[in-house]
Amino acid sequence: MNLIQNRSLKQLLWIGIGSIIMFFAGLTSAYVVRKPQGNWVEFVLPDWFLYSTITIITSSLLLFAAKKRIYLPKESFKLLFGTFFLGIIFSYFQFRGWQELTSQGVFLTGEGSNVSGSFLYVITLAHIIHLIGGLIAILITAIKTRKGKYSPNDCLGFDLTSIYWHFVGLLWIYLFFFLKYF
Amino acid sequence: MTNILIALVVLLVIAALVQLTRVSELLAELKNEDVNEVTDSDNQTQGFLYLVVGMGFIVFVVWQMFEWNHLLLPEASSIHGAKIDVLMQFTMTMILVVFFILTPMLFYFAYRYRGNKKKTAYFFAHSNKLELIWTVIPTIVLTGVIIFGLKTWDETMNVDTSEAKIIEVYSEQFKWTARSSGEDNKLGNSNFKLVTAENAIGVDMQDQNSLDDKLLREVHLVVGEPVLLKFRSRDVIHSAFLPHFRVQMNCVPGLITQFAFTPTKTTKQMKQKEGEDFEYVLLCNKICGAAHYNMQMSFIVETQEEYDAWIASKKTLSEKLLTQK
Amino acid sequence: MSDHHKETFITKYIFSQDHKMIAKQFLITGMIMAVLGMIMSAVFRVQLANPGESSILYTLLPGSWVNEMGALNPDKYLALVTMHGTILVFWVLTAGLSGTFANFLIPLQIGARDMASGFINMLSYWFFFIATIVLVSSIYVQGGPASGGWTIYPPLSALPQAIPGSGTGMTLWLVSITLFVVGSLLGGLNYIVTILNLRTKGMSMQRMPLTIWALLVTAILGVLSFPVLLSCGLLLIFDRSFGTSFYLSDIIVNGEMLHNMGGSPILFEHLFWFLGHPEVYIILLPALGIISEVISVNSRKPIFGYKAMVVSILVIGFLSFIVWGHHMFMTGMNPFLGSVFTFTTLLIAIPSAVKVFNYLATLWRANIRFTPAMLFAIAGVSAFITGGLTGLILGDSALDINVHDTYFVVGHFHIVMGLSAIYGMLAGVYHWFPKMYGRMMNKNLGYLHFWATFICAYGVFFPMHFLGLAGLPRRYYTNTAFPMFDGLSNINDIITFFALAGAIVQTLFLFNFFYSIFKGTKASQNPWKSNSLEWTTPVERIHGNWPGELPTVHRWAYDYSKPGAEDDFVLQTEPLKEGEEEH
Repeated sequence: MNLIQNRSLKQLLWIGIGSIIMFFAGLTSAYVVRKPQGNWVEFVLPDWFLYSTITIITSSLLLFAAKKRIYLPKESFKLLFGTFFLGIIFSYFQFRGWQELTSQGVFLTGEGSNVSGSFLYVITLAHIIHLIGGLIAILITAIKTRKGKYSPNDCLGFDLTSIYWHFVGLLWIYLFFFLKYF
Repeated sequence: MTNILIALVVLLVIAALVQLTRVSELLAELKNEDVNEVTDSDNQTQGFLYLVVGMGFIVFVVWQMFEWNHLLLPEASSIHGAKIDVLMQFTMTMILVVFFILTPMLFYFAYRYRGNKKKTAYFFAHSNKLELIWTVIPTIVLTGVIIFGLKTWDETMNVDTSEAKIIEVYSEQFKWTARSSGEDNKLGNSNFKLVTAENAIGVDMQDQNSLDDKLLREVHLVVGEPVLLKFRSRDVIHSAFLPHFRVQMNCVPGLITQFAFTPTKTTKQMKQKEGEDFEYVLLCNKICGAAHYNMQMSFIVETQEEYDAWIASKKTLSEKLLTQK
Repeated sequence: MSDHHKETFITKYIFSQDHKMIAKQFLITGMIMAVLGMIMSAVFRVQLANPGESSILYTLLPGSWVNEMGALNPDKYLALVTMHGTILVFWVLTAGLSGTFANFLIPLQIGARDMASGFINMLSYWFFFIATIVLVSSIYVQGGPASGGWTIYPPLSALPQAIPGSGTGMTLWLVSITLFVVGSLLGGLNYIVTILNLRTKGMSMQRMPLTIWALLVTAILGVLSFPVLLSCGLLLIFDRSFGTSFYLSDIIVNGEMLHNMGGSPILFEHLFWFLGHPEVYIILLPALGIISEVISVNSRKPIFGYKAMVVSILVIGFLSFIVWGHHMFMTGMNPFLGSVFTFTTLLIAIPSAVKVFNYLATLWRANIRFTPAMLFAIAGVSAFITGGLTGLILGDSALDINVHDTYFVVGHFHIVMGLSAIYGMLAGVYHWFPKMYGRMMNKNLGYLHFWATFICAYGVFFPMHFLGLAGLPRRYYTNTAFPMFDGLSNINDIITFFALAGAIVQTLFLFNFFYSIFKGTKASQNPWKSNSLEWTTPVERIHGNWPGELPTVHRWAYDYSKPGAEDDFVLQTEPLKEGEEEH
């Protein structure tokens, strides 16, 4: 693949990321507008979400390392698999976080629910759906890496997956701090 | 059966068109002409048509203005409404002036500069001076419009409501209910959870202020006295539109919105000017379901004495809801 | 990227990755939907002229939409109005306009083989196609299609008890629009990246035709604003199907007290109009870009004030993000907020005025060649003047009090979108038809189509301003319920007459279009003697656009009637002569 194509596909991804950012901007500004209008039940964000934040940061570190080791397919594959695995752990922690919220009486909908809870669930749900897309990309990239398809000079697919995965992580960090402190 | 016939006719028309078009193209081919080339004579015709049809359009617009002017809403019947009317006159005049200058100019240019093979266009690609002129002048004009508009908006929205009579207007699919705040000029609280068959708009009868409130099926206002309308909705977004008073406000379930104004002409006065059939009326102006087109309530503006006599005859909520147990 | 893979019928016509074919797919789908939307408007105009009566046109509708007397049911009137708006705003004027011309023109006019990603481009059409199927199928479900207006405000759009169309019909609407938005985003990404990266040698940004500038800014607007519609819709989906209360509170509908507490329909309006306003510029800008091109080529003069035109496009694009509140003046918002939005809205008039003056200056001392495209382009300017001016009234909050949601606003937006933008689209079709199909459309049919349309269209929409100033609200099934509107029935009759006549007239265009694809006279290399790059590609159109090398560009696209030139046009690929200055 030539350089222009490389650059083009990366830009396509970046602009797509811009669109996803606008989607979450819509959700978080709805939250910002709604909160001061009252009838807003405050609750404590379960620690599970802190653990998941740490997990996703770690997964990005592993991904960085995988890129550095890209000329050693087997090593790189292990690190990529680590990223994938941590992505699954992240999802598990999110799920545990939701569980704890429901035991605290914070629900998405139904009897006893409040819009503050609804927002939290919808926002984290939207994030995890985007993350699942990233997981699929990581898996495909991991398999291709194992087969030796990438080299330091020719790794467009790897780069695209990385950019997306780091974005999903950064997005979560923003959402985490937003939901915790706003 | 009719549908089949119609379909056949349509097909025949299409077939005829195909043949006609094909024939005209073949004829042109025979004459060694390109049937689709735009000739000088085409330019003459089309340019001329732009002039004629364009002017026809201008005439059509002027005709509409004269023919239908009498159908437009009469002068505003409220204090802020009169100010809005002045702003409207000003703005409308301005846009009509611009329209009647630019539109004929466009059509005239289309005619005047219709082309032919012998002419050459004038290669004039930019002029910073012109750009400056036609940026600065609209900016100055628009600044005037903006300032005038914001001033009128402020005078409409930020009125002193301390003396205003408070009346609630409650909207639902597909009717309006009004509630007067009674002697104390305080509306009792309401909650949709309190709605019952008797208490149709959910007034909180535990609230002292509710006792003298009165449910009304039409609204009477005293001429010259300020009124503050408060709006609620039972189900979906409606919009209270009182065109003669230049009043409009959405009625949103979950919120209370409001609009304050002072009526300046009695219904009697309006009947004298506009005809016996005249009524002030409240319409719904936000799509709300099947009968959106038929949510009506009358508003009557009258003198203080007429109003006092009328309101005295209406039962209070405490009379209606509390004593009939 | 000019790999010549073997083409089958499927890869050439169905799952094509060639931008020219994808453009035509968008165009044909857009045209079919336009016919559907137009038939809907004919049906509801007939109801308005003959309220409560039956009509032969109603036989086109599903049986349950009329009552025993054959009259249209009021809630189905609202369904027609909703679907008409949805189809025309999104399917015709967004996908049909941008989808067609961005796809077709971008690679050709900047000198690229194809879009940055042919695959993503193909996906963008097929998402659109599936969205279309879902939307059209919603017409036939029980309860009918969405009926809360194309603006689908909750609670009406959230509650099937409030109107039947808000049941399955609305669910399908939401699914359809989600697919539509994804398709639009995929397209928009491609347009931006292709313009930024794949311009041929010498094609600097300042040498790009205005059409490309317009399509670039349009794509940026779309990429930033459509996702907010998705977030808006997501919250609505949760309220409708999962019992949340983002938009719903304090509701008793059909005797049923709903559990929702704390929601606000106004929140929906903010999110919706954050897309909704840029959306109308997403519609208008490509049309204006096309109009610029067609006027310049057919005036044999450069478009006047190229730089100012580019700046206007950028300013309009930027301002379009900060005016959305002018759709919400009557929601009870803080009056200060109303003032802010009035200010920003009236500001947009400035770059719009600049564009109008530049068009006029282009026509001044021109040598006009009246192709059907040119007729439509000039009419597009007329409609932009007319419709833009009434926008000044609507954008002024105090004046909006009495015209909001009346026929005044219906007249305004139809003239700017239904006239100006559609005229731009038609001008584009007539102008680029030879490039799309290698044949010419019939000129005389084109002339006939234009004049009949021009007369009928102004006949339909100009009178609406008077209806609005008389206080007549929009989305009313009939105007006979209030005595105050009795005097307006003449106007309604006139409007309906022109609407039906105008609809019938469009068949001339449809006939001309399809006839010419197969039987039109063969086009020459450059029938309009235009400077831009698309006319240097072979008439028969090939994959990869140019056989051999990509062209090199030496000048901007507007050297028409340049003093010292041999002909009254100079291709962008012509090197500068000795001593010749580039403009």
